[in-house]
Amino acid sequence: MTTFAIQGRCLASPPPADWREQLARMLGAKPRRIGNWAELGLYGALSCLADAGEQGLPPGALLLLGSQRGTYMPTGQVLDQMQGDLPMPLTFLQTQPSQLLALLAAQMRWRGQAAFIAGGTPQSLLQLAAAQCGNAGVLLGWVDEMEGGSSLWLRLTPCAEISGSTPQAVSAAAMYAPEITHLQVAGGGVQAG
Amino acid sequence: MNPIHLAGRGLACSLGLSVEQALATLQQGRAHATQVSLPGAMAGDYPFHAIPFSQPDWNERACTLVQRVVAEAGAQHIRNGVLLIATSSFDIGAVERGATRMDYQAFADKVAAWLDWCGPVHVVNTACTSSLNALLFAQALLRSGAATDALVLGIELYNRLTLGGFAALQLLSRTGSRPFGAERDGLVLGEAVAALHLSVREASGWQLLGGASVVDGEQPTGASPVAVCEMYRQALADSGVVTEAIDLVKVQAAGSPGNDAVEAQGLRSTFDSMPPLVSLKATMGHTMGASGAAEIALLTACLEQGAWPGGENAADQELGVTLAAAMPSDVRRFMATILGFGGSHASVVLERT
Repeated sequence: MTTFAIQGRCLASPPPADWREQLARMLGAKPRRIGNWAELGLYGALSCLADAGEQGLPPGALLLLGSQRGTYMPTGQVLDQMQGDLPMPLTFLQTQPSQLLALLAAQMRWRGQAAFIAGGTPQSLLQLAAAQCGNAGVLLGWVDEMEGGSSLWLRLTPCAEISGSTPQAVSAAAMYAPEITHLQVAGGGVQAG
Repeated sequence: MNPIHLAGRGLACSLGLSVEQALATLQQGRAHATQVSLPGAMAGDYPFHAIPFSQPDWNERACTLVQRVVAEAGAQHIRNGVLLIATSSFDIGAVERGATRMDYQAFADKVAAWLDWCGPVHVVNTACTSSLNALLFAQALLRSGAATDALVLGIELYNRLTLGGFAALQLLSRTGSRPFGAERDGLVLGEAVAALHLSVREASGWQLLGGASVVDGEQPTGASPVAVCEMYRQALADSGVVTEAIDLVKVQAAGSPGNDAVEAQGLRSTFDSMPPLVSLKATMGHTMGASGAAEIALLTACLEQGAWPGGENAADQELGVTLAAAMPSDVRRFMATILGFGGSHASVVLERT
């Protein structure tokens, strides 16, 4: 069993109307040619770290990113471009979900273990995090650009078991709720307290 | 901590439809690439390592290959275990042909259905390092006690998007793969489906000691020297061994002018006494997200059978490293490294038991 304390969160589903301006302020400039999905991911991750009071991830932390649809939109664009020609290089790069991991690492001036997990659920992502992460914890993201977009992030650090309350099974959406302070992975399920 | 055994392996690649076939092709010196044609600004023929198995329907072909390699790995009996699918291109080849729509979960469900898989399924995509990251997740799940068996399944099959994208980025060679070679001029891509069965229950001839994965945003399409060194340092520490204990390093060395030089720099900085080096890229191509699993499947078999994938490639003396021309004697531990897109660097250590 692994218990995490939630140190920070970003619940942007959908993101606020001015999220692009907020992102530009956090980056110090408008991002260029990285694609909407990656921008949405950067916005959520950096907002989450700010909520946790961190400038970046510490050494030894884990960065795990999941998505239902990831880079579908640029992939569709590239497939259209390939009717008789090669894709545009930067658009091709936008089809690679792992590019967001590199962008985040660069922005945080951080070097460490990071992975994109396609499909599944935020709970299954958390189960992988529970097995893999060390004392520095994990930055856990779930980003999709369809249907208005969503960028859901949690900054989690391992802690002692939840005391004073009985953890309850939790839905994916409830994992990010402001009243949740801890998440527990046990017996193949995710509980919250 | 229970040892993690490599309890089974299966492979389909340009060398053949099984580990045995691949070894036989290698030993007969019959490894070769076919040609694919690309349109547009980078138009022309490019070498490509295709799996010698034709079937018009992408899904039927993928299903047949997946079932074959999983059967070869002896993993049909662990369907309650964890399945980690490693890929950089999913089933985009089927999407291009209008045979399916892009849907990560539907892809995971489809592969699981081909195998009648009952346990948890995760799809890992970290570009070229996908298989090694899947191995590291498998190791973590087994170490934590969350599972007793895991199957890492690398799937990388022909699609125009990947080839076109790499060509557009001017990363492909038009002539051939020359790992650490003086005249290296790019990558040669290939197909592979590979399965590695990891178990804490079933003993075998190889153990996974540990490994590490390091993402560095300094170079979004390539490797960084600092990250290569950090990857080696962490992988050795996680495995509980020192550099002197490594008898062989399977390098990435895909023939990229820049990345090969960065990798060589990282090797020189890490190893005071350079162990023998081997690359499988000229033999089977760079099989992207499947490459980690595919190359471990082939290399462990090579070491067991005494087959050596040496190349006839003039080494680049400026790199300060060269590939071993013959199989080193008494290889007990080797590192397997993959470097890739997204600034990803990954390495694992395996030990012969």
